[in-house]
Amino acid sequence: MPIITFSSDSYRKSREIAKKTAEALGYKYVDRKILSSVAVKYDIPEAKLIKTLDETPSFMGMSSKAHKQYLAYIQEAVLGELLDDNAVCHGVAAHLYLLGISHVLKVGILMDFDERVRQVADQEKVSIEKAKKIVRRQEKQRKRWSLDNFNLDETDPSLHDMVINISQIDPEEAVSMISTATGYRKFKPMTYSIKCMQDRELAARVRVALLKDFPDVRVQARDGTVVAEIKALKREKHRKSSAVKELVGNISGVHYVEVHAINDIFRQAAESGR
Amino acid sequence: MAEKLEVLVLDDEPIVGRRLKPALAKIGCDVEVFQDPKEALERIGQKEFDIVVTDIRMDEIDGMQVLEHVIKKSERTKVIMITGYAMISLAREAMEKGAFDFIAKPFQPDDLRLVIAKAAKALDSPIDFEIPPPNGA
Repeated sequence: MPIITFSSDSYRKSREIAKKTAEALGYKYVDRKILSSVAVKYDIPEAKLIKTLDETPSFMGMSSKAHKQYLAYIQEAVLGELLDDNAVCHGVAAHLYLLGISHVLKVGILMDFDERVRQVADQEKVSIEKAKKIVRRQEKQRKRWSLDNFNLDETDPSLHDMVINISQIDPEEAVSMISTATGYRKFKPMTYSIKCMQDRELAARVRVALLKDFPDVRVQARDGTVVAEIKALKREKHRKSSAVKELVGNISGVHYVEVHAINDIFRQAAESGR
Repeated sequence: MAEKLEVLVLDDEPIVGRRLKPALAKIGCDVEVFQDPKEALERIGQKEFDIVVTDIRMDEIDGMQVLEHVIKKSERTKVIMITGYAMISLAREAMEKGAFDFIAKPFQPDDLRLVIAKAAKALDSPIDFEIPPPNGA
């Protein structure tokens, strides 16, 4: 059975629907609770991981390097959890790193702008005008976050398989619609989609192992073959490639490592300017 | 002894049939190999196969058409799609049209044998096959 990911402009409402969907289908529910185990594993305050999912790096806030690293830890953990299907996933941006996997049903939950404004006004005890500004800022923030981290516009409905406006459809009805959709054959796990999932999980683990030493690393995996793309100066290529192979070679599931060391043009330019 | 599974393999690349025939024969399948979709469809018209393994991208008649044809003729037959051009839209389309499974090329013979074993189970004709653990462990 498939995996269902939720994303929304209304975190609380979509969480409610996601939880109810998991209950209705008897699926595992994966949400931000997973962050506590990530925090323990990597010895990072959980609050920083939550911040990673909500905010973009900034001069006064989290550095870009830390943000990238924490997000990689989160991805690694979430993908590990989702290796078994029959899961509902909410609040960890999974829809952005599970694109292209056919047994992932990506659900977008929308709420009318005015309703969101009213909710914010009630929650924050602010005027409607102020609430409008907050909602617009949140929208902008979501868009920027997804573009910065995944080069995808989170607010684009075409990223989803199903978009439900909960200002028009009751949560119970939404749960029923989503549950019905999971029965469609097109969302059934198949050898290809399961392998895609395994490849992505392996790539995430490898990336985590490399990020500290190779912050720009890009990793792809297929059937145990891992391709790591790193930046290096010409004279460093051999040494860095060997270092990657040593770091990755013993990771479970890795059978072969290929390193593509591409020219670090910025460092090269900096060096030649000296 | 249980009856052999009747399997038709269709791929316009001769190497695929040459590799798969012995690989599937090892797990007790009776395999007929075709490179020409027209000939394969003709054969499917004459005989009800338990399993059809078909490539998707072929000239004149593609694998999706073969899938539709097989499903129309025999709902019991399990169709396994194989392709070197795997992508989400194609995978979903194949499953929606009734494919039993979808495999991206290149694949190991064991990958297909495992899917064949699943199909055999779904057909109530289980075969004895398990993927050997890595490194012979």
